[in-house]
Amino acid sequence: MTGATEEFFASLPERAPAVLRSPLRGSLRIDLYHGGHTAHWRVEMAPGEARVSRDSSDADATWVCRSDFFDRLVTGSEQAIAAMLRSETTIVGDIRLFLAFRGFLPSPPGTRDPRETARESVQAQGGGTR
Amino acid sequence: MSDLVSILDGNTFLVSDDRGDIEPAPDAPTGLFSFDTRFLSTWVLTLGGARLHLLSADDAHSYQSQFFLAPGEPMHDLDTRVSLMRHRWISEGLAEQLTVFNHSRETIRLTVRVAMGTDFADLFEIKNVQPKQGRVTAEPGHNELRLVYQRAGFRRESLITSSTDAEVDAEGMTFHIRIGPHDEWNTLLHVAAVIRDTKGRDARAVLPLIGDRTPQVILAEQQELIDRAPKLGCDCGPLAGAYRRSLNDLAALRYQSITIGVRLIAAGLPWFMTLFGRDSIFTSLQILPFLPDLVPPTITILAGLQGTRIDDFRDEEPGKILHELRYGETAGFEEQPHSPYYGGADSTPLFVILLDEYERWTGDGRLVRQLEAQTRAALAWIDTYGDLLGTGYVWYRTRNPTTGLPNQCWKDSPDAITRADGGLPGFPRATCEIQGYAYDAKIRGARLARKFWNDPDYADRLEREAAELKARFNRDFWIEDGEYYALALDPEGRPVDALTSNIGHLLWSGIVDESRAGRIAEHLLGPRLFSGWGVRTLATGQSRYNPVGYHVGTVWPFDNSIIAWGLRRYGYREEAGQICEAILSASQHFGGRLPEAFAGYQRSLTEYPVQYPTACSPQAWSAGTPLLLLRVMLGLEPQQEHLIIDPMVPEGMGRIELLDIRGRWGTVDALGRSRGPHDPSRGH
Repeated sequence: MTGATEEFFASLPERAPAVLRSPLRGSLRIDLYHGGHTAHWRVEMAPGEARVSRDSSDADATWVCRSDFFDRLVTGSEQAIAAMLRSETTIVGDIRLFLAFRGFLPSPPGTRDPRETARESVQAQGGGTR
Repeated sequence: MSDLVSILDGNTFLVSDDRGDIEPAPDAPTGLFSFDTRFLSTWVLTLGGARLHLLSADDAHSYQSQFFLAPGEPMHDLDTRVSLMRHRWISEGLAEQLTVFNHSRETIRLTVRVAMGTDFADLFEIKNVQPKQGRVTAEPGHNELRLVYQRAGFRRESLITSSTDAEVDAEGMTFHIRIGPHDEWNTLLHVAAVIRDTKGRDARAVLPLIGDRTPQVILAEQQELIDRAPKLGCDCGPLAGAYRRSLNDLAALRYQSITIGVRLIAAGLPWFMTLFGRDSIFTSLQILPFLPDLVPPTITILAGLQGTRIDDFRDEEPGKILHELRYGETAGFEEQPHSPYYGGADSTPLFVILLDEYERWTGDGRLVRQLEAQTRAALAWIDTYGDLLGTGYVWYRTRNPTTGLPNQCWKDSPDAITRADGGLPGFPRATCEIQGYAYDAKIRGARLARKFWNDPDYADRLEREAAELKARFNRDFWIEDGEYYALALDPEGRPVDALTSNIGHLLWSGIVDESRAGRIAEHLLGPRLFSGWGVRTLATGQSRYNPVGYHVGTVWPFDNSIIAWGLRRYGYREEAGQICEAILSASQHFGGRLPEAFAGYQRSLTEYPVQYPTACSPQAWSAGTPLLLLRVMLGLEPQQEHLIIDPMVPEGMGRIELLDIRGRWGTVDALGRSRGPHDPSRGH
């Protein structure tokens, strides 16, 4: 288990009020495997709340992922749905929980606000933004 | 494409030649497709090594077809001792019942072969041919042939089985058969389109999806959907035909999303058999009065996949509603951005509009409360990431120069956003109709905030912002000498001055100053925009006008349905009726199935609408068009707990009767009748 993943899960309770804003409730278990070892993380999601535990009991949805790949997801350099479409990760159960959980995953490193880049491009073209 | 035969059920479809054969075509969408992957690219029937020819074909149903074939060449050496029948239908892949008839008095021995193979092409690799990254293998077995594609963890299989003994090799199956006098032989071939997950499980077994559907089940499900729609009685043949055809096609285009497990409507055959934000929202708006049950899954999935982060490859931002979701290899391996792709600047305000319109019809306040956070996020997107330049408009500019879309409005071909003189503006661009949608989204968002979210302050703010936007828009987009609204603003805020059908969408959204609406209606029905079959996307006389240009001169039925709705909104009832008449007249030349688009030639020139060469058909928002036109002609408008019915039926169309219109009022019937010098005066 790496620092990035640990830090990510530790941050969820604090970030939940901004991320989990719909009335959805349920548990998402994330199984991270590496070699023969699987680490279980369980996130109980509710409006404005995320409770994280290292519990392997059944959940409403289960997301299975290689642990080094998950590191790349939580640092923004990979995207979760593409990974699912190419069978790099799998999700079984209530997919709405997975979709809501996406809100915790950050932008790719170095991403800039598109408004800044758009305004710079207009200035470079020689125009102003009035 | 007229000699091609297509069948479909949801997003699984098959396109073959008129004999039922599929020959390898790397750059054409022929074959069996499911979830954006080609599961068959070769499927050729021979008898004694020779191809067959067609006697007759039956493709009356969307999900099955039948071909009667005979050996030999037509006209001269027709061999009438033997004939063949292929009966096929979509069934989690393809099922084909192959029958060989012996019409002679002797026993005959024959060699029947079906050549089989596939390239597992992703639909995007057919648009733009690319070598495959993974490996295709063929595994012949006992009466089965398994074709496998593997690229890292990504696996797709075509599992082809025969119900009778076959000699199987890597390229097909051969049957050495013996048929007695006046007897027949048959086999059932099945091609399962298998999608596996990392553990090798069939993904469709893992997700809570429907099982194998027989033609009877498909027919029953389609019939059930049609039975729930209001019943149409009318004197007008084209309208009756188009209504029936539309309901059938909408039923056929429903599919089960493998990612999500809800039933959605695919946008159009063959290129767009997937979820689009814009198309699904417009289709939902069109069908709401008729098939309201089909709408919540679309709203829910769009909300569920709302953008959460800034992602340049996908043109994603928090709060944005998706443009296109794909399921194939190129999306998975990020060779295309459709996982999902967010390159549409209109889907987000349209989402708010749909949610409000849905509640106004159905009274389903529960969904509005449930989606409060997502709807607020969509409204916030309009004023934040949507307003790229901070000028109070929604702009677009892709951050993915390789595979992103330059034009992120419904007219998304590269030359669509043009000046009258043909010059193309720079980026970002703010097209006019998106500002209209943003205005309408704010007005409707205010209603939702007041009525369901208990937030009158937010409602007031949205209404104030909407009023400001309307004033600003009428100042900045109005072209004084032409007396119409510019198609767009360029990055410097200057009007892009082409005269286009987009001004009709402005009427629909309500952003047009009352004093200018009459002039807009005149333009829409004037000779430059109106062809007689409908409103052209781009007016004649504009430099890039081309009657067969995809977004620069063709007529789009969906576009016209929104324009008719807009004219009606501003009280231009007769003008709206003229558009309804034009499009419905055109529909009868397409057997009631309106294509995506047809050519913009003047009606008097051709007397029939000229087909656009690569138009998608069936296409969901074209199938939705006759439904919305019916709503417009009958003047159906929900008002609180009631349905207002205020018919204005175009001259010559006679009686229109729509029974059992469901909504928050229970069910009501609507009746309209045209009244003109050419109409019989039968009662009132």
